[in-house]
Amino acid sequence: MKKWARTNLWRHVISLGMCAFALFPLYLVILSSFSQTGSLQLTSFAPSAISWRNYKLLFNSPAIPYLTWMKNSLVVAGTVAIVSVIVGGASAFAFSRLKFRGKKLGIQLLLLVQMFPAILAIAAVYVIMERVYRFAPRVGLGTQAGLILVYLGGAMGVNIWLLKGFVDSIPIELDEAAKIDGASPVQTYWLIFVPLATPVLAVVALMSFIGTFNEFILARLFLVDMGNRTIAVGLQAFIAGQYSRNWGPFAAGSILASIPIVIIFLSLQKYIIGGLTAGSVKG
Amino acid sequence: MATVNMLFRGKFALITKLIVLSGISAILVLLIESALAKKEYTIALFLAASLAALCYTYLSARTVPMKFFLPGLLLLFAFVVAPIVYTVVMSNYNYKTGNIISKQEAITQIKGLGVEPDANGTTFDIVVGKTSTGEYAILASDSPNHVYFVSTATKKTDLLPSQVTLNADGVATAAPNFTVVPEAQLAGNEDYAKINFAYADKYFVSVQGLNVGAVFRQSLKYNPASDTVVNLIDGKIYKDNGRGNYANVNDSADILQPGWRATNWFANYGKLFSDPLVRGPLFRVFIWTVAFAFLTVLSSFAFGLLLALTLNKPMRGRRFYRGVLVLPYAIPSVMSILIWGGMFDTEFGAINHLLGTHIAWFQNASFARTAVILVNLWLAFPYFYLISSGALQAIPSELLEAAAIDGANPRQIFKKITLPLLMQILTPLLIASFAFNFNNFNLIFLLTGGGPKDLLGGQIAGATDILISYTYQIAFGSNTQDLGLASSISVIIFFIIAGISLYGLRKSKVLETFG
Repeated sequence: MKKWARTNLWRHVISLGMCAFALFPLYLVILSSFSQTGSLQLTSFAPSAISWRNYKLLFNSPAIPYLTWMKNSLVVAGTVAIVSVIVGGASAFAFSRLKFRGKKLGIQLLLLVQMFPAILAIAAVYVIMERVYRFAPRVGLGTQAGLILVYLGGAMGVNIWLLKGFVDSIPIELDEAAKIDGASPVQTYWLIFVPLATPVLAVVALMSFIGTFNEFILARLFLVDMGNRTIAVGLQAFIAGQYSRNWGPFAAGSILASIPIVIIFLSLQKYIIGGLTAGSVKG
Repeated sequence: MATVNMLFRGKFALITKLIVLSGISAILVLLIESALAKKEYTIALFLAASLAALCYTYLSARTVPMKFFLPGLLLLFAFVVAPIVYTVVMSNYNYKTGNIISKQEAITQIKGLGVEPDANGTTFDIVVGKTSTGEYAILASDSPNHVYFVSTATKKTDLLPSQVTLNADGVATAAPNFTVVPEAQLAGNEDYAKINFAYADKYFVSVQGLNVGAVFRQSLKYNPASDTVVNLIDGKIYKDNGRGNYANVNDSADILQPGWRATNWFANYGKLFSDPLVRGPLFRVFIWTVAFAFLTVLSSFAFGLLLALTLNKPMRGRRFYRGVLVLPYAIPSVMSILIWGGMFDTEFGAINHLLGTHIAWFQNASFARTAVILVNLWLAFPYFYLISSGALQAIPSELLEAAAIDGANPRQIFKKITLPLLMQILTPLLIASFAFNFNNFNLIFLLTGGGPKDLLGGQIAGATDILISYTYQIAFGSNTQDLGLASSISVIIFFIIAGISLYGLRKSKVLETFG
């Protein structure tokens, strides 16, 4: 007993302490989402009464187009995830498997470009897209299409870099065999590489999805119309200014929006950690 | 295989390719046309180059790698490289509120704004109509003084009271050689409102609504030959000062609004170091940015590593602990940051309730900074836990066993073997994390908004502002939106981040794998 206490007790104490720290805000949000009052108050640790009022508000109140925001987020993040993986996958394949002049320089430039946080050039993106709006109102500032294009550009660097790492790990013998059988690079890509890499492409697509779903500042700059907003922008604007009043519906909305993301994250945990550390633990 | 091959070779493949390519080309051509129509030549040029590259790449047989690269390359170029280049360009411009438009637009606006009412503020009751030649005209009445006239853009014809038909208010409603245009037809047609109807000498009548006209005169006149603006009233001459404004030749501080965007080579960079209103806040923000990034990495790493060591060996409930501990990392951070913001609320927040205090967390610099670091600890410790436990597992157990056989105690093993190896693996990630937090805009913007700051005192930088949020405030947040100055700070952050990242890459030896 004494030995158990010495070796294991402190470990449980630390773990439980950190778990409490991790769970505290989450518990509070769940509590608030079921409460009648609209604040993130902690009147008691146990709920006094469970009310579905906040959840109902999300779907019934005309002031909160929650479902529209959710749909917008799914459309924007989904499009970015799928297109960026298709386009990025092709580039990654070329970097990994094809021989061409300037390949080394290309990889180094890519590495350089993907290091720059997109947010640094945000003023320039704003001005450029404002100008685009003047002659093409459907893809300029203020539109989801424009936002998707900007996201796609931003996702390219990281996605190509990540996917290149994955492609490198697929045995080269397979595509060499296809080459001997007379397959062109385009055929090798579609018939050998894409089927083999589907799980990997799916993982990168889902990671892009999470990242885009979570993006706030560009979305806020681009999407001004209430009905155009993504969930992150919509919910933020909803509590900004009117502090203690809207926390109930906000808590309910956050929980509903987070559930799919948390599920994706937990099921992909292994790959996401792999992706996070890829490139740096190699050496 | 034959059917699959059909997708890649032969007529079917060719036709599909041509259809897709011509569809994309058609869209691009349309965009180029409309860009040219709006004089956006740079964008039109880029689109035309993209079009040429697309057609060449996908119609030629010689460009195989390019076929894979091109779409990604174009996106990367348009939305990452071009904005970076444009940031550098903007950083050398006087580009701020009052200097946003082009010079041509500015001249048009100055002409439009350069009018002033006559000394008495004379107004007339008017009726809008047309002359027999179809020109817009007004029939103006000054009923108390029985003055009536019809005026077009070029000519004023005085009328005697006997020549006009008056209504009950004494306002003329009909006159010879003048046809009234019904108000229903005027609605939605603004042409007549832009006309300066002739009055006397330098003065003209401008329509101020459907029934009222007022007398104005042009006060500013643009002279294209000398590129100067002259004030017709007091004779002052304004010249292009080379920095985006027309300035009085005798008094450089007297400038006309609006100005236009103009190059001011390196002046923005100079301002960062010489203008005390910019230099002071910038320096304070820079110090806090470094301190914040350092403290947040240090604290999150310390807690993450502690947990990784705690949970490194099998124990009851380990899976449960792991599942719970990654939750903060899995939840969309926008939501969790906002939730923390609510928890720190002075009146209703759970933190004050829990501590039994009544602290205005975001009104006091030290409390706000503590809150920022605490919230980021919550957000980031799971990441450090995950990478630390990954690194712990990567350390070969033979090393630890050998040390134990040699008689080292657990503490010595940790200090001499585990920790150095761990740091070797994790240093690049810690550096990357430092770089990330250096630009952790979302956290600052959503939690404190950079505050506390003295808004009434005109302060732009708050106590928790980091460089990137300060830059955002300069560009979009305050009354004077200074895109030029913001871009110059962005360029400096570029270099700092590039320096940090290259240092991290050298540590991680990624470059060597293809060096």
